[in-house]
Amino acid sequence: MTATTTPDYPSIDAADLPYLPVADPTFSVQSAAVREARDAGWCARTPYGLAILRYEQVNRLLKDRRLRQGSWAWPQHNGVEGPFAQWWAGWLLNKEGQDHARLRRLLNPAFSPKLLAALSPRFVALANELIDGFAPAGQCDFVSDFAEPYAARVIAIMLGIPEQEWPKIAEDSATLGLALGVTFKQELPRIEAALESLFAYAEQLIADRQAHPKDDFVTRLVQAQRDDDRMTHQELLDSLALLIFGGFDTTRNQLGLAIKTFLDHPDQWKLLAEHPELGGTAVEEVMRVNPAVTWVTREALDDFEFQGLAIKAGTTVHLFSESAGTDPRTVENPQFDITATGRPPHFGFGGGAHHCLGHFVARSDMSVALPILARRMPDLRLGGEADWMPLSGNTGANSLPLAFSAGH
Amino acid sequence: MKVRVDMTMCEDHGQCAIAAPDVFRMNDESKLEYDPNPDDSLLAEVEEAADVCPAQAIFIED
Repeated sequence: MTATTTPDYPSIDAADLPYLPVADPTFSVQSAAVREARDAGWCARTPYGLAILRYEQVNRLLKDRRLRQGSWAWPQHNGVEGPFAQWWAGWLLNKEGQDHARLRRLLNPAFSPKLLAALSPRFVALANELIDGFAPAGQCDFVSDFAEPYAARVIAIMLGIPEQEWPKIAEDSATLGLALGVTFKQELPRIEAALESLFAYAEQLIADRQAHPKDDFVTRLVQAQRDDDRMTHQELLDSLALLIFGGFDTTRNQLGLAIKTFLDHPDQWKLLAEHPELGGTAVEEVMRVNPAVTWVTREALDDFEFQGLAIKAGTTVHLFSESAGTDPRTVENPQFDITATGRPPHFGFGGGAHHCLGHFVARSDMSVALPILARRMPDLRLGGEADWMPLSGNTGANSLPLAFSAGH
Repeated sequence: MKVRVDMTMCEDHGQCAIAAPDVFRMNDESKLEYDPNPDDSLLAEVEEAADVCPAQAIFIED
């Protein structure tokens, strides 16, 4: 028996790799160029570094500790200092090693799936209430009439704040989202004002639960303790603001992408309406073929070799979640199918140490919402021209007009 | 206590190794290794590891 299990890989010359212009607004992660590159090999060059295209390599590199989370230096890259940059540096996502583990240990228990199960009936009531508003008309703009209020009110339910305050969550989160785009520096005054507004909100919540503890999510965060360690006041503020920001956009976008997926598969929409128990697999399938987070960004910590390719320290590596999730080398019959069983896990929630903190919430609220939407919006079709963000980075619909049979 | 990880469900995210580093660890290949018979004094952290596992693959057996 031999001790070595590492297969030999032929050396890859980076200059021979296909090139993908991922920063171009017309670039799509689902383009023929990406599919051709994935057939040719597991990796491509990009203006930032590397794109990883196949399931096996995305899965390995996502969990490889020779890479760190890749957008930690984003404010510095944009010449941004001050409160936003400080908040960003305090994010769980931008910490590594022991600092990351410590904060994650303190945050994780508040997201326990056991504790979240109790919220499911409220998600059902919320979905129905929102649909009641447009079902008689047989038409809606899915983003403004459902996805946005649903995502923001789920956060309000989690935080235990009045649900009618949801537009504030939506507005501040949307403004903060400008920090991820090309106009980051120009928009900085607005972005800082939105951050200050979220901090003030978080400050009130923390003070309230410290004075009046309840059996709820914010109280669990405020009281979170591990051995003799607790979060500092600033860590609590940073984390609450991050949870509001991180939970809103992603859920809104993923819901719109779910509808897009089902518009292309009307038979599956009908099936979901008849079988609400398929809500859970519907979420997994949607996130596999149309993830809102189309790539996960990592950065190489050291020079290292991976399957024949030399990767230099500092290289930005984009792990393509949709390309991996539909890779026929690993996923048999990769077409969308909510009845499929035994699928390998998708990467729509990232993975490894930075696996999405809020995934149990997202899975729960979307798996509840999709079957209700399917039952109450039969004969679903596009009701006008939709407005989509580029199919790269974090994607989703800005508007999505729908038509369907009224009165259900 | 006895701990069992269903390796057909485990996705090697390593959240258990963050929650209970005395029982779970990720090796150099980023694969999970664990102690199936940890001391009972570690019950609280093992329960936490089982709870936070994204794949819900950890089972505590008496």
